[in-house]
Amino acid sequence: MALLPRNWPLWLLLLVLITLPIGAGILWLVLTALYNQVHGLIPVGRLAPQHWRFLFEGSVGGRPSIWVALKNSLFFAGTVAVLEVLIASMAAYAISRMKFPLRTPYLGMILTLHAFPAVSLLIAIYYILRVLGLFDTLVGVILVKASLDLPLGIWLMKGFFDQLSWDMEMAALVDGASRWTVFWRVALPLVRPGILALGTFALLSAWGEFILPFTFIVSAKSWTLALYMQSFMKEAFVDYGLMAAVGLFYALPVFLLFLFGQRYLLNIYSGGVKG
Amino acid sequence: MRRYLTPLLFLSPASALILLFFFTPVVATLLLSFTDLSTTTFRHPSWVGLANYQDLLTDPFLKKILANTAKYVGLTLAFNVGMGLLLALLTSLVPENWGDPFRALWLLPRILPPVVYVFIWQGLLAEAPMGLVSDLLGVSKNWLVEAPWTAVILANGFVGASFGMLIFTSAIRAIPRELFYAAAVDGATTGQTIRRVVIPMLAWPILFVTAYQTLSLLTSFEYILLLTDGGPGFYGTEVWSLHAYHLALSNYFGNVEFGLGAAMAAVLVVIGVIVSLFYLKIFNFRALVTEPKIEV
Amino acid sequence: MTKGTGVRLERLTKRFGRVVAVRELSLEVAPGELVAFLGPSGCGKTTTLLMIAGIYRPTAGHVYFGDRRVDPLHPRDRDVGMVFQSYALYPHLNLFENIAFPLRLKRVPADQVRRRVRETAELLGIGGILERRPAQVSGGQQQRAALARALVKEPQVLLLDEPLSNLDAQIRLSARAEIRRLQRELGVTAILVTHDQAEALAMADRVAVFSMGELQQYAPPDELYHRPKNTFVAGFVGSPPMNLIEGEFTGDGFRAGGLRLALPKAPTGRGWLGVRPEHLGLGPEGLPARVLVVEPLGREAIVIVELSGHRLQVLVPEDEKPAPDAEVRIAFPTGALHYFDAKGRRIGPE
Repeated sequence: MALLPRNWPLWLLLLVLITLPIGAGILWLVLTALYNQVHGLIPVGRLAPQHWRFLFEGSVGGRPSIWVALKNSLFFAGTVAVLEVLIASMAAYAISRMKFPLRTPYLGMILTLHAFPAVSLLIAIYYILRVLGLFDTLVGVILVKASLDLPLGIWLMKGFFDQLSWDMEMAALVDGASRWTVFWRVALPLVRPGILALGTFALLSAWGEFILPFTFIVSAKSWTLALYMQSFMKEAFVDYGLMAAVGLFYALPVFLLFLFGQRYLLNIYSGGVKG
Repeated sequence: MRRYLTPLLFLSPASALILLFFFTPVVATLLLSFTDLSTTTFRHPSWVGLANYQDLLTDPFLKKILANTAKYVGLTLAFNVGMGLLLALLTSLVPENWGDPFRALWLLPRILPPVVYVFIWQGLLAEAPMGLVSDLLGVSKNWLVEAPWTAVILANGFVGASFGMLIFTSAIRAIPRELFYAAAVDGATTGQTIRRVVIPMLAWPILFVTAYQTLSLLTSFEYILLLTDGGPGFYGTEVWSLHAYHLALSNYFGNVEFGLGAAMAAVLVVIGVIVSLFYLKIFNFRALVTEPKIEV
Repeated sequence: MTKGTGVRLERLTKRFGRVVAVRELSLEVAPGELVAFLGPSGCGKTTTLLMIAGIYRPTAGHVYFGDRRVDPLHPRDRDVGMVFQSYALYPHLNLFENIAFPLRLKRVPADQVRRRVRETAELLGIGGILERRPAQVSGGQQQRAALARALVKEPQVLLLDEPLSNLDAQIRLSARAEIRRLQRELGVTAILVTHDQAEALAMADRVAVFSMGELQQYAPPDELYHRPKNTFVAGFVGSPPMNLIEGEFTGDGFRAGGLRLALPKAPTGRGWLGVRPEHLGLGPEGLPARVLVVEPLGREAIVIVELSGHRLQVLVPEDEKPAPDAEVRIAFPTGALHYFDAKGRRIGPE
């Protein structure tokens, strides 16, 4: 804004001060993962590669290998993101660009669901997954996760489709395309920023997702990284070094995105993705 | 009728999932809340009418849980909105190439996996020598047990503040530059400009963030579950939504009381439906709908 | 050389909610003809075009291409090419792929696609820039690419929706001639939507004038100019527009306030007298009038005069233009007058 007071460095100092806890937290995680011991934020002793033994040992304390959890997490986040982008785009395209009965109420429903707190449905969803035989399966959790984030995705993508030129779409129809072809060959390529935004959001959200797998997954072979890491929290003796290493390993993609795509992240989250 | 086949095709995957995981659960929550479904009666639940709701009302811990919920929602909300506002203002008062990285930094708590994020809090609040807080205060204690509410509110607040921050920032950026120039010409100090120009323009966004986060805080429990799991002690930080979850889905006391948990969840679901429909009204939803220009 | 098919509209009607955009429109376009739909914005001309293309569904009535009824058909089954005002090129594809798009959808073999795109592009003089994206070429080149995309599949009917209105004035004139030449050469039936009467008159074999969703007149340009069917057409076609004076026909003359004209064989009753600015003469003869404003146009000048309380526009050669406030005489050409009745319908002279 056009408001740059002469004493702005003072305000910057205040900004630094209130942001310190975040910096301290990240620093603590990194140091604890790397060093033998950390007093406050001061490393004591030498580098501690043994904190990273979970990468090489088949299992730590009877847990499945972290590579299994990693594979599950990748599969989980990847599938959720692809499903969400695809299904949300299809629905958003129809809502934005097609005439059909009850179109306005449908859009109203999506907007209402966008505000509706989906976590309050977990108990019933548990029951539904049991009935469907999808309890304790990755597929079940994937479907739930993709569905619960769907209203947000549809709403976001609708905004992007709304901006496409009608002339262009008419031209494609006259050129001989069906709506289906227009969707794939003209509309989707042109809402790439939307796909990237929703895709990134969905990936991040699913990568971090804890409560859904925690509630709907029991078998260790289907653990995601969130469950893998949480299993250490329940131990009587907390091995901070090991856990910090696991946490750092788990959060690495997020940190990388943060380091290299800050501006991009800000754009996505300012662009109407809900909190 | 054939002309609606294409929209139907485009809408059917989304509709099926929404039907399966939004509408069915809403109905199921209400239905289950009228049954005595539990571990022992999982195969043959029976209809018990309003018995679960009666149990709820006569629960000796109801007061405690309601008080906890009010405390959690109220204080976290205050932190979220206040901190969001402070961050939006501060990052707007410094040059943009400073403001943006700080805004991004405040996104980090939101995008970090909750398990990792909570683990960091646990570490920082742990006893010396590990815990930073103990180190700084010179008193070695597990602060998560000493001051659970502070921990719960701060941990949630650091995640939630970015929502307000982003929305307030866009609102501040949307203020016409001329207003700032006019204020400067009129001799307003920075403080006066913020009070007289910026804050009045933020009235609606503040209301929106407050309304939105009230509903989502009321039903959220992920970070509390990870951080204290409702403890320490007996229901130290147990809030309504977490209690519903505990009753229905975690074997705290051996027997899972699914029906009772569903009754508690049903209360949230009903609130959620009413409030989100209400939002739809104040959003001026009709203005968002335009007619498509293609009829094939 | 392809030969286009005729287009026939039969009592075509389109309603959007309660608004009637097009009402009971019937007209026929002959094979190979270029017809212009002319009218102010909101008159229903683009809506009609989109119904012919198949983007809009008629509320009632039918569209025929030759003997084939096409109104129930999807646009892709109609074999039309269309150029849009915004050109509507696909920004993510280069010009080659833009032009090739209709052929790719038809699954034309790749070597044929290459040949036909090249041919069409050469025809339009954009063969050298096919690798560029739409954003990287000029407006005129975009317009040519859009035309190439519409022509490459050798459509039966070519639809042009204000194809020239986004072009600079200079290019617009040459583009007019270019489109006309191509259309003749290819023999494709073409319908041009425009709000620019000069464009319609210059390019079209016949012009359909629209107003408020209804067809006002459908005729060749010179008939439109010389025998407008009603006051709307009279006022819309021609620049500057025809002078229309409301008054009373008396059988042997016309009376409007202080203005009296002797007209042999005039009708009777209230109505409008029309006369084009270029047919009015400033000279030694005629009725006395006072010059209000003079607008030089270069070769000619528009002179606005006051004649017995009526304002009239007169078009005179630049070197004959009077000074403002001058007293002049206006001569009415008896052979170039138009009579309209009180409802604006033409009633003479025959």
